[in-house]
Amino acid sequence: MRLALPQPPRALISLVPLVDVLLIMLVFFMVTSTYLDLDMIPAAERSEDAAAPMPAQAAPGGAGMLLIRLAPDGRPWLRGQALDAGALAAALDAHRRAGPDAAVSVLASPRADVQALVTLMDAVNDAGLTRLRVLRTEGVP
Amino acid sequence: MRLQRPPPRAPMETIIAMIDVVFFLLVFFMLIGRMDASAPFEVLPPLGLSGSDLPAGGLIIAVAPDGRQALDGVEMDADAIIATLAARAADEPALPVRVNAHHAAPLSLVLPLLSRLEAAGLRDIGLVVTPNPP
Repeated sequence: MRLALPQPPRALISLVPLVDVLLIMLVFFMVTSTYLDLDMIPAAERSEDAAAPMPAQAAPGGAGMLLIRLAPDGRPWLRGQALDAGALAAALDAHRRAGPDAAVSVLASPRADVQALVTLMDAVNDAGLTRLRVLRTEGVP
Repeated sequence: MRLQRPPPRAPMETIIAMIDVVFFLLVFFMLIGRMDASAPFEVLPPLGLSGSDLPAGGLIIAVAPDGRQALDGVEMDADAIIATLAARAADEPALPVRVNAHHAAPLSLVLPLLSRLEAAGLRDIGLVVTPNPP
């Protein structure tokens, strides 16, 4: 006697190709993405800054303007003296108390590196000063 | 009479759990990663704590310490980058441009580039920093 056994029910759609595609997408996104936490410092002159011009460049030692020179080794100089981080913070804080239109100009050496400039920008920002201008010398050092 | 029935198929639950896990991982990596074009050289942005979150989109100029530069992952020289961007800035002055300079790159590579970008008519220029380097 031959008994007809019921066929086992077939899966409607095989899930194995789905897993394949998902794994390929997973590996693709893992490999091509960058996971570094990136921030941005605006580098263009904003329109409100252009409307309110900086204090005269001709008087860098004036009340509203602090001129900091960035040496090739990355150290900030103020009035002929190299500053460490603490002295720089104190000088910037004293400058911020000088007035509401306190501004900072940075004369950056072309040989200083980007990290030195960003560190100085951080110090200026930490001191509560928002008006920063970076000057550069023309020509090749 | 006892008939030997075929053993039932293995349940599908195991593969479904795997699909769940893979989906979670896929969404996780899509959310935390950025799909920016990476430069053909290594660029480690400077450590900076005063930046704001880098918005997505825009063009990225990578600058290596040895002077090589790349626009959106394609290495080209500074003049070509400026020419390309000046042509695009004519139509779209609000085009975001991010300068991703290596932290050890000299400012003689970066500051003139920023000036030239501004002179080309671009108004949304940013310097890329990272608050916690690897």
